[in-house]
Amino acid sequence: MSNFKAVGSRLLQLALVLWAVVTILFLMFRLMPGNPMAAYIDPTFTVEQQQQLMAQFGLDKPLWQQYLIYLGNLLQGELGQSFRYREPVGDRIWLLLPNTLILTFSSLIVAYVFGILAGAYLAWRRGSWVEQTAIPLVLTTRAMPEFWLGMVLLAIFSFSLGWFPAGGTRNPGAEYSGFLDLYTSRDFLAHLALPAATLAIYSQGLPLLLMRSNMLDVMKEDFVTMARIKGLSNWTVVVRHAARNALLPVMTSFAIAVGYQLQGNVVVESVFSWPGLGRELVNAVASSDYPLAQGAFLMIALVVIFMNLLADMLYAFLDPRISHA
Amino acid sequence: MTESLLSVRDPLLSVRDLRVSYQVGRNFVHAVDGASFDVPKGSITGLVGESGCGKTTIARALTRVMADNASISGGQILFDGKDLAKIPEREMNALRWRDIAFVPQSAMNSLDPVYTVEYQLGEVLRRRGGLDRRQARARCEELFEMVGIDPGRLTDYPHQFSGGMRQRVAIALALALNPKLIIADEPVTALDVIVQRQILDQLKELQERLGLSVILVTHDISVVAYICDRTVVMYAGKVAESGTMQATLTAPSHPYSMGLRNAFPDLQSAAAGILTPIEGAPPNLANPPAGCRFKQRCPFALDLCGAEPPVIEVAPGHPVLCHRAKESAALRIDAARTETWMASA
Repeated sequence: MSNFKAVGSRLLQLALVLWAVVTILFLMFRLMPGNPMAAYIDPTFTVEQQQQLMAQFGLDKPLWQQYLIYLGNLLQGELGQSFRYREPVGDRIWLLLPNTLILTFSSLIVAYVFGILAGAYLAWRRGSWVEQTAIPLVLTTRAMPEFWLGMVLLAIFSFSLGWFPAGGTRNPGAEYSGFLDLYTSRDFLAHLALPAATLAIYSQGLPLLLMRSNMLDVMKEDFVTMARIKGLSNWTVVVRHAARNALLPVMTSFAIAVGYQLQGNVVVESVFSWPGLGRELVNAVASSDYPLAQGAFLMIALVVIFMNLLADMLYAFLDPRISHA
Repeated sequence: MTESLLSVRDPLLSVRDLRVSYQVGRNFVHAVDGASFDVPKGSITGLVGESGCGKTTIARALTRVMADNASISGGQILFDGKDLAKIPEREMNALRWRDIAFVPQSAMNSLDPVYTVEYQLGEVLRRRGGLDRRQARARCEELFEMVGIDPGRLTDYPHQFSGGMRQRVAIALALALNPKLIIADEPVTALDVIVQRQILDQLKELQERLGLSVILVTHDISVVAYICDRTVVMYAGKVAESGTMQATLTAPSHPYSMGLRNAFPDLQSAAAGILTPIEGAPPNLANPPAGCRFKQRCPFALDLCGAEPPVIEVAPGHPVLCHRAKESAALRIDAARTETWMASA
């Protein structure tokens, strides 16, 4: 019963956060300098024509009315019309969102699986030469800017060696019958390799260092000592007890990292001409395509909010002290 | 130290001249510096002393799971025909928990928070005891009944138990594989006195019913008086005195034991309420003084105490590490007076 209550109050919170995000987005674009219609309205239009257009878009109405219309449209999933593409923002976002999500999750999953295993291993081998070489190396990967790393990988593996394509998601002219067909094709995966590697190399440092320091703390805990006194195997002690406990904060950081990653994607998607939400967002802001920018922002915010909810739920699932509290 | 002085008939465990040191920087701190004592079968032996005297270090040395910087640097731990100080790690690990189990001070921290207690009991039963899932389940219920917890709570997590209940779980865990020896390191120190008594009663009842052999590490003389059969009094890494609980508490023969006795309230005596502390602090074990380690705090110290003290048996099975052990009856009378201890400070 209390579980339902907890989920209910969590969902209510979620709705509040969403409402705040939506409102800030609405105000942000209306408080920005410049006429939002500048890109849409040809300067050669007469004043009457301009006003007619403004009225058509509802921009002549008072702000609060616009706000209500905006909220009403959002509730129906209506994000408006892109100025630049002259097509519904929703369609455009649905086209790009999978690219961004695939890039983000494939790179983060690789980064976290590697980081967690390597971090646990380095904690276990504390003080060895392996650890002493690995830590500075990891710190170096953390210090490299993503765009620079991306360009270096491009220079080596694409321009020099020619192993991977330089940008985009597919070879020119390649046609695919459907969603799954494209995303599982060799062509797409080859295009995914370099941007995903860039993000993975950049992201693995956080889970690795976090896991390592958590492990070092947990290894000092009494229950790990007790596991040794019980004569349990090294594997059982390190994996089932130490790593299992050290994992908790790392899993939460995964969900939060997704949010950061979406930010980072803006840079990496630009370097690799990856048709994702991040690159589109930059382009939309640069070309004053407000409805599209607004929609892209909203989508990114949605993903971040959803991932935070997932982090909470994951934590409750992994840590009995929270779910049974 | 000769064997005859200490001998308990047919001991389960004999510690001989045990030395354990911690490496701190380039120095070695000899936390246990030549300790010898016997643990008889089927009784409770109290290992008592103040913080830093080496009692917990000994307890952990018996399991050979020690701090990273600790090592056994000498002596023997004779158990079941083997010297635990020397056998290879593999052999030692085979013996852990099956033969020697451990009850920790704080069961809160020594139970893994993310697993149910059933999982943690089952882990030991299956991985170390070779039971299958069904047998383990039955044994879990049996163990919970033994320590007085409703088996329905097996599926609970450690944080769902109270402190006393957790300590019972820790005792159930120690009993799981019917070990020959249970080492309990301050098992009731973290509990309030009422729960302390419940746990001690439980421990005593199980010990008598199952014929357990227990080493109980404690700083609390009243715990020793309550349930122990034998006492080993430690001071600064050495055994000051050992013997039956009766002998060591009613006729303490080492000045330190006499002082320790004074520092605890005696509700029956007329002088109730007046506690006499032992002034000063134990010596630095990184650089211990020559001769008797208690001499700076001892009201009875003489010049001869600068030399290494001998082990003198004041009664059969009651060895004392003191130059003046033979005069102990007279010293006890002086030691009962508060002024004696004030003067030395």
